[in-house]
Amino acid sequence: MTLPDFKGPVILDIPADPLAMFIVRALVDKISAKIGFEPRQTDKLVLAVDEACTNVIRYAYKSAGDERIVITFSIGPDCFEISIRDFGSGADPQTFQGRDLNDIRPGGLGTHFIKSAVDRFEYDTPPGGGMLLKLTKFLPAEEKAQN
Amino acid sequence: MNIRIDERKPGVFVVSLGGDLDMSSSPQVRDMLLPIFRRKVSHIIVDLSEVPYIDSSGIATFVEALQLSRKGQVRFSLAGACRRVESIFDLAYLKNIFEMAPDLSQLIGGERDR
Repeated sequence: MTLPDFKGPVILDIPADPLAMFIVRALVDKISAKIGFEPRQTDKLVLAVDEACTNVIRYAYKSAGDERIVITFSIGPDCFEISIRDFGSGADPQTFQGRDLNDIRPGGLGTHFIKSAVDRFEYDTPPGGGMLLKLTKFLPAEEKAQN
Repeated sequence: MNIRIDERKPGVFVVSLGGDLDMSSSPQVRDMLLPIFRRKVSHIIVDLSEVPYIDSSGIATFVEALQLSRKGQVRFSLAGACRRVESIFDLAYLKNIFEMAPDLSQLIGGERDR
């Protein structure tokens, strides 16, 4: 199977609700597998996007249920980009630091999961408020060339 | 999320979960699982064979249970994790921290159900 030649990105505009996250996971799973990532890498990408969205719900929106998250999937010649846009209060970048994994305690794993899934992790505070988190993963052939 | 709790023999509880263990379902699992540690219990087994996905909130629930198990000297085990769930524990460097068995029968052996 080959990846369809998409004209432009795929945009998912979804309620900031934990109950809606299965839709995000299903979409990331399908796109990632179609691109040709190995199942383990696909699992990591699914987890990363899920964790990024739940961070938005928890920290940017303080779990209020009537907000939106806009996720943009772009497949370039050499990389898969996932941008997660929220319009919340703006998360403290310190929350992206994660924790020492030797410290066995509940919580603090989300950032570790996100960072370990992707090759590039960037965030921005666009005009209009909120946060834009951009996750980039090199496509399988590119990944080999990078290593 | 479907949750079923069975006391298979005195003090041995099996918590069977069905569905994704994520931010929407973890609080419910936490509320059902953690109170078992206050009962007369020697071993708690969570059957994950019907759980296709777990996120950091699900992992956090089990880490909390593990801490209670150490404090109360209760054996705590996870059984039947699928490849995806197991790989997420691995990614969190927790696969060797928990007692994990491929399936429930390995933990309760030839014990008859009550």
